[in-house]
Amino acid sequence: MIQLASVTIGVLLGISTAAALLIAVLRAARGLRQRRRAERAAAPRRALLALAAGGEGAPELEAVAGMPDDAWRAVEPTALDLLAKVRGEARESLAEVFARRGVVARALRDLRDGRPITQARAAELLGRLGRREAVPALCSLVADPRAHSRRGTVTGVRAELRVVAIRALGRLGDPSAVAPLVSSLGGADPAPSQLVAHALIQLGPDAAPALMTALNAPQPLVRMTVLDALGRLGAAGAEQRVAALLHDDPSPSVRETAATALGRLGTGSALRPLLDAANSDESLALRASAVRALGQLGAREAIAPLTALIASPHYRIAHEAAGALRRLGSAGHATLRELAGRSGTDGAGAHAREALGMAELTGQR
Amino acid sequence: MTTVLIAEDDEDIRDLVVFKLEQAGFTVIAAPDGTAALAAAQAQTPDLAVIDVSMPQLSGLDLCRLLRADPRTAGTLIIMLTARSQEGDVEAGFSAGADDYIVKPFSPRELTSRIRALMQRHGREEARRSEALG
Repeated sequence: MIQLASVTIGVLLGISTAAALLIAVLRAARGLRQRRRAERAAAPRRALLALAAGGEGAPELEAVAGMPDDAWRAVEPTALDLLAKVRGEARESLAEVFARRGVVARALRDLRDGRPITQARAAELLGRLGRREAVPALCSLVADPRAHSRRGTVTGVRAELRVVAIRALGRLGDPSAVAPLVSSLGGADPAPSQLVAHALIQLGPDAAPALMTALNAPQPLVRMTVLDALGRLGAAGAEQRVAALLHDDPSPSVRETAATALGRLGTGSALRPLLDAANSDESLALRASAVRALGQLGAREAIAPLTALIASPHYRIAHEAAGALRRLGSAGHATLRELAGRSGTDGAGAHAREALGMAELTGQR
Repeated sequence: MTTVLIAEDDEDIRDLVVFKLEQAGFTVIAAPDGTAALAAAQAQTPDLAVIDVSMPQLSGLDLCRLLRADPRTAGTLIIMLTARSQEGDVEAGFSAGADDYIVKPFSPRELTSRIRALMQRHGREEARRSEALG
């Protein structure tokens, strides 16, 4: 029995020693491979940095555009990373290299390849390179019926491809992408709404007219996402339509989002609809959103109504009113100090003191 | 010769800035994190430091405060180079003691120009102070 145990221990020791040796050898081999790769990449990398650093122009561009394929393969990931980190002349030079080496033409072909991973790689590259000629193909990927399985659900890798295509469309900033992006929110498997909202915002103010049209969509999720985008874009001229949705939309969630969007739009005409919503008999959630938006609006005319709202028996409303006064700058802070200094233990004083404390913490005083 | 410290954990950006600044004639010290940058700054007292905000071990803002608090490095000019572009982030950078703030994606050419401008302005101020003293 003891002999058997000794043999077992011996065998286990042998196995573990062999495994440790194997791991050490594999690590050494990997380290060697990485060193060799780094050595091979050193000269091309230096040429790439010289180009991105913005040398005299032609020689640096030729050095990278004309380098052998294996050297380019060694630095292509760095070039791709740098595209997102630099701007101006440096970015233009890097983008030019991708075009000169035929990478752009290949990526445009790959977008229609049919293999999701190849398509996703091409979409990511073309988005980073800012190649607007890729927009139609990317739009078809966002709404591609092949992205749906027979059961009508988006399968894993296809869903990932759609995410990459949405991100690329945002980077490209072409307003013609509004409709496909918005339509990706419909159907049985909507795209992630925050991702779509971010892409819509990246399209810039030129996308506002198409976004206004999209507010007619029957799905509340679409209207909410578009409202979010319009608010964050600060889309001038959208106030009336957004105020109408705040008042009339059948979905409470859409009305709340409309309140937030009105606050972000920051125009004087948003004051009345927000005050009406804040003092209405709507849900507390909607009233709280409207009160918060009054603070974002930055209108001094909101100080008196907010001073009344801070005395609301509803904690949420009073708390948001104090927060809104805090955001209204020195005049709002003066009101909070006055409320905080009143004797007694009323709720308004407590909310005012909390808001002033927050202002102190966030350096707003 | 002007010595510039670059504190940046992103190897690509660090190497690019080093390349650009050396090309522009500066002596450059590179550090991959806040702690290494602090040690390098205390040992070599650079004229100017380009500091990323998000770095391991010691953040760029903390590094900035420590440089300002140390008499050896209190006079080092500081440029924050960061992807954080919100109003509050910029304000935090200046509150920590930065002299300038550059948002990524950045232009290497613009960075060089800002370093030169800051150095010149600082040189003029120093000269004016010396004149006033006597």
